[in-house]
Amino acid sequence: MSKKVLVVDDSATMRKIITRGLNVAGLTDVVEAGDGCEALAAFQQHAFDLVVTDWNMPNKSGLDLTREIRALGSSVPVFMVTTEGERGRVLEAITAGITDYLVKPFSADALRDKLDKYATV
Amino acid sequence: MRAELINPFVSATSEVFKLMLSTSLTRGPLSLTTDQPPAHEVSGMIGISGSVRGMVMISVDRTTALNAAEKLLGARPAELNADVLDAVGELTNMIVGSAKAKLEAWNLSIGLPTVLCGEMHCVKFPPGASPIVIPFDGDLGRVCVKVGLIEATAA
Repeated sequence: MSKKVLVVDDSATMRKIITRGLNVAGLTDVVEAGDGCEALAAFQQHAFDLVVTDWNMPNKSGLDLTREIRALGSSVPVFMVTTEGERGRVLEAITAGITDYLVKPFSADALRDKLDKYATV
Repeated sequence: MRAELINPFVSATSEVFKLMLSTSLTRGPLSLTTDQPPAHEVSGMIGISGSVRGMVMISVDRTTALNAAEKLLGARPAELNADVLDAVGELTNMIVGSAKAKLEAWNLSIGLPTVLCGEMHCVKFPPGASPIVIPFDGDLGRVCVKVGLIEATAA
């Protein structure tokens, strides 16, 4: 059975890119959310094996989403894909509970390398 | 406006197009502009605040927008629809976000992208911003980056 993945980004374009990358990695059971609020609602309804989230989104940021996922007691891997590349921001994300990080823009190879880890774990 | 503020947007634009769209861009000569309508039909804009404030606008024509969207989405949209505008917005987000990271010492914050579509749309930059136009050309078409920033003055 394919692992279940939650993809969160306010950009439909980025959700498509991430989902396509997940599909190539063999992760085909994907649920999409357009912001942190929608994502949290989905997270509470399904058992996800991986969350891939943007940082800056309306209504609820990816960082706040991550904090709330951790506050629920979940240790699900949360992989952040964001333009926030400054070292301080990365540390902030790790402190919030992010387990992996990819800075936009990224090559197809870089995305594949990251996602392949979750397909095999 | 200092070159150290402009250069990150030049390199960020080239990097985004190279990594996300697998296309190289050639930069043309920079110029100053008044708030004239942009030469292209689709513009993505993001506001910037912090040690400098202002706005950055990425403008492309219809064909370039469709070409870029096709590369990102994996299929060519039939028209300038919501998918294409979203794609331009995300490219704008990545260019400005990447430049912001290069300007880490300036402690900048950026907003969410807004996208305008329509010929002869006119956008007014903040007073005193004096936008600089950075034209690019590449296989997908022309890209026009307009950067209008004001440095914060001491109180």
